[in-house]
Amino acid sequence: MPEPSKPRSAFAPWDRRELPGLFDVEESAKRVGHYKWIEIKLFEALGGWVATVPELDVKLVLGRHCYHHAWHAELWDKRLPELREMNTDRLNVAPNDELVAFVDAMREPDAPELTIEKLVGVYRVLIPRKIAAYTYHLNGTSTITDSPTIRSLNFALQDEFQDWREGEMLLQSLIETPKDVERATRRAAELEVLMLAAGGIAGRGTLGDATEDLVPPQGQGSPAEGVVA
Amino acid sequence: MKKMFPAEELARDSRFVRNRIEDQIFDPRNQALSQREMGSAKLDPNRPAAAERARALMHGIFTGEIQALEGAGRTTFDFDETQVPLALKLDMARQCWDESRHCEISVKLGDWMGSEIGEFAEQTFLYEAACADDPVLRLTGVNRALEGLAIDVFNTMKEFGELSGDPVLAFCEDWMLADEVTHVKMGSDWLRRLTEDDPERRERALEFQRTVDKLFSLGGFRGETEENPVHLARRFRELAGFSDDELEELVKVSEESKAEAEAMSAAIQQGA
Repeated sequence: MPEPSKPRSAFAPWDRRELPGLFDVEESAKRVGHYKWIEIKLFEALGGWVATVPELDVKLVLGRHCYHHAWHAELWDKRLPELREMNTDRLNVAPNDELVAFVDAMREPDAPELTIEKLVGVYRVLIPRKIAAYTYHLNGTSTITDSPTIRSLNFALQDEFQDWREGEMLLQSLIETPKDVERATRRAAELEVLMLAAGGIAGRGTLGDATEDLVPPQGQGSPAEGVVA
Repeated sequence: MKKMFPAEELARDSRFVRNRIEDQIFDPRNQALSQREMGSAKLDPNRPAAAERARALMHGIFTGEIQALEGAGRTTFDFDETQVPLALKLDMARQCWDESRHCEISVKLGDWMGSEIGEFAEQTFLYEAACADDPVLRLTGVNRALEGLAIDVFNTMKEFGELSGDPVLAFCEDWMLADEVTHVKMGSDWLRRLTEDDPERRERALEFQRTVDKLFSLGGFRGETEENPVHLARRFRELAGFSDDELEELVKVSEESKAEAEAMSAAIQQGA
């Protein structure tokens, strides 16, 4: 029988969580505010499009996914005051004008024959970017101090992966001709350019900076200088 | 995407057929039909036409669910957070999911009951009530009046399923009924919260609800006598926030609607 008074570590041997993380409270709140903003814009678009798509299966999926993203917005809205942001509207903003331009373009299609364009914007451009941003946050944040955000990120990511898969399958079933392929590709490219300018759903630095931790070899300057040379 | 999407542009595939509710109610052939001795209008499994009427009602429920989905979806998009609280938009998004699920249930039940999509005509009056400029009017017109009607219809269908020994129908209607009570309660709660300091706005919204209720009594479709195919589900409406006075008013509105429809039908017959 184990001795109850025998000291044990606060962390079980398999619990490898650590304190360090990439984001302080302020940065975390800022990102969460951007997440809330994009989730709201997305669920509004999905809800608005329901009436505009003639394909019955697409209509019903959009209705279901609309709630998923509304729920994510609610999760982020509730997290903000816990990150010392009592005015939950203040950080409910786009990270930059370029992301506003992306969202305007993504939500623009209205006509019933533009279902492919509507779905490409959401499922081939925006949701992959959301998955990337949420995964970066999940991997980078402190696994102990920021575990409430991690919990919400995991819930959101579960929906994002499932919704992405379902949206992609709808697209594959709607794309029937080479012309459709061209439509979908052109639409994705147009929107990717706008998203590139925005830098991701949390703006530039959404996925960190892949070069910032590089130590330049002795006598060769920084990687940026190397490019210029 | 434009704000305020008109009913005539609602997107459908080629199976769907649309007509106007007025044409259906005031169809001159109804006069001849009403002269036939058909007994109680209540859905009764012993009547020869019961299965056909249940299928038609189920199809009406299905198209109504599509429009309820579309209406809730438009409310998430048509108003920003300066016009309605975010929490209301979140509730509407939740309603989108519920209505989407109801569409799925209705399609499966339609199959089960032996009908096909497009077998009966669709009218867009439900969605039209969801097009008001004022979100409070949408809440009373859709969530309280139309979703209230859904409570009555689902309860009637659930009873029909029990009477006719159809456990699938009774089971599904019971689940949808639970969601509708939630939606009506949502409408009652938001109406109270949004018009707390604005009694004039509340009165306008309730007046709109009365108009929609009258329209949706469909000339005696809903009421409390054997002549009404759909009965008022008092217990569930109370759960959803309806007061006794409101329930009495609904009975009155239904009677008025029936009397008006009969008078108009008679006038059409005389003119013919």
